[in-house]
Parts: sequence; structure tokens; C-alpha cells
Amino acid sequence: MRFLIDLALAVVIAIAVGICSAWYAVDRGRLFGAVTAGGWTAWPREGGADADPYTLAMFARTGEVPLGAGEGLSFTADHDADGAPLSGKCTYDVVGETPAARLWTLTATDNFGRLMDNVAHRPGFHSREIVRASDGSFLITVSPTVESGNWLPIGTVDRFRLVLRLYDTPLTTGSQIASLVMPAIRKAACP
Amino acid sequence: MTRTLLFVVGGLLLGGIIHVVIVFLVPTYASNDAWSEMGRFGQDRQFHTLPLPEAGTERVPGMDPRMLQAVCRFNLTTGPLRVHADLPDEFWSVAVFDRRGRNVYSLNDRAAEGPKLDLAILTSVQMAQIHQNPPPALENAIVVELPIDAGFVLLRAFVPDDSTLPAARTALAGASCGDAI
Repeated sequence: MRFLIDLALAVVIAIAVGICSAWYAVDRGRLFGAVTAGGWTAWPREGGADADPYTLAMFARTGEVPLGAGEGLSFTADHDADGAPLSGKCTYDVVGETPAARLWTLTATDNFGRLMDNVAHRPGFHSREIVRASDGSFLITVSPTVESGNWLPIGTVDRFRLVLRLYDTPLTTGSQIASLVMPAIRKAACP
Repeated sequence: MTRTLLFVVGGLLLGGIIHVVIVFLVPTYASNDAWSEMGRFGQDRQFHTLPLPEAGTERVPGMDPRMLQAVCRFNLTTGPLRVHADLPDEFWSVAVFDRRGRNVYSLNDRAAEGPKLDLAILTSVQMAQIHQNPPPALENAIVVELPIDAGFVLLRAFVPDDSTLPAARTALAGASCGDAI
């Protein structure tokens, strides 16, 4: 009898631990291969033949298609420079420079990676249409309300993400990425 | 008590194995993956232009709204694949994904050295056959040997503004994806 109880306990533990941890790892976390630089996170291996099984499982569930290593690299940020989550009610300044790339695009998405409807019908900015300072740096204002200059509008959401896609960039390995200079996301105003 | 503890440890170990098995099986059993989604645009071995990503109507998640994309699903068991495209003088790229959505090959316009793309995709066996008897049709093509059977090719063309959208649409509509020789 005790053997049966012990066995049942072991099986219950195995199923609970196995399923819950697998679900968590695939659905919530991308545990391996993440490289962060200045608050931005990239998965340089996701666009290669050596992508890890967690990333492949996540892509299979979401239907997402990554950028190939020969196309570019995608960075995501969901926190500002102070470590607070990006809130759809606040205004943020994205300032600085991007790493070397022939072309980049900056897009705001909701917390699930979906595009947001916004008043200006502007999905994002790309490197050739922004107004830059004389030293080549830029300031993009991310705000739900109308702003002057490079205004990236966001929809009425609680939390959002910024996606910076660098196309035709020499960044291929993770080691270079950690020391990169990325644009900073600074909170400007919060009602 | 020690025996119960032993069973708990055994349960944890078995849980670890279940975890690994599930993670590896997800791509096999997922019905919502990129390959299935790309098949909803039309027939295989043809390029289909995807709608430009817009809020609320995204067919494929996580796509750049500044890129107009065309997809061609293929299966190499019926023969090698040849991709031809004449793209606008802007950034464009091409990526090949396998059945499980893993990127196995990618290239951008600079690496392709010009606006014209001529790509041939072959399996190892087909490559060996071609080596014995190289067809002149493949002389100018970028020939890629890939360890896959089924997959899809994704062409992405950068659209800087609305005025360049028609040119990109025409270029992607003119892209061909068919038999190699």
C-alpha cells in the first residue's frame, strides 16, 4: 500500500513538474540565448540553424517568423532606463544612436507583440525618415498624445514594447552585442 | 520516510524528462505554426504577397510593418526550387525556413549584389546529381544546398513610404518560385 502511495506521489510530481515547467519555459520565458544591451534584448541565435529548442517551440506556438542572420537582428525593450515597465499612459524619449546597420525600423507593439491602432496611423519610424540632430543622434518621442518632432504614437494600452530591427548589420555574435551603444528609453512625463 | 523522499526525487527526475520531451514535441504538434499559416495564403510553389501588417489584422505576428513580404511554400521532394525576383532598388532580403519555422538560409540585397535575385534550393541528393551534370540554366544562380524537405521562402522588401508601395507590390507579384531546370 505504501509503495502505491509513493508511486502515485512520484507520478503526480513528475507530471506536474514536467508539464508546468515546459509550459512556462515555452510560453513565458525564452531562457537561453538572450543578450541584453542598454535595456534592449535580442536573441541572435533565433535567426540561425542552431536556434535552441525553446525558441523553436515558442515560434511553433505563436507562428512568429524570426529575421534570418543574413537579414538583420531584432531588439525588444519593455522597460525604461530606470527599470520600470513601459506604460501606455506615459511619454518616453528614445534618445541616442543605434549600432551600425544599413537600415533600422522602430515599432511600438502591445505586450503580445501585436501592432497597436493609433490616432496617427503611424506604425513606427525608420532610419531614413527621422529628423536628427547635427551630431547624428536622434530623439523619438513615444507618447499616446500628439508631440512635435519625431512622434511615435502608441495606442491606449497598459503596457507596450518597443521593437528595434536592425537590417544588414554586422552584428552576428552575442559577444559584440553586450557592449553595444543602444538608444536609451527615458521616461519624460507620466500623468 | 527516506523511501518517500526517494520517490519524490524520482518524480522530479521523471518530470525533467517529461519537460524535455514536451519542448521537443511542441513544433511537431503545433497547428498554429508559421508553415501552416503560410499555407493559408494559397498554393505551394507560388509567391503570395502578404498584406502589409496593420493593427488588428495581422495574419502573421511579429512582422515589421515597413516590410512588404511574399511567401512561397515548397517541398523539395518534387524537385529543386528556383526563385527569381527583380526587386526595387531598396533594402530587400530573402530567408528560407524549414518545416518547423527554423531559419536555414538568409541573404540581403547587398550580399546578392544587385536588384535581381536568382536562387536555387536543392537537397544534398539533388546537389550531387547536379554536380555530375551541371545544367547551364543554373550558371548565374545562387545555388544553396539545404538539409530540408519542406519549408518556405520569405521575400521582404522595404517600403520607406506609401509612394514606393506600388513598385514593391509589382516586384513581389512578379517574383517566381518554381522548378529549377
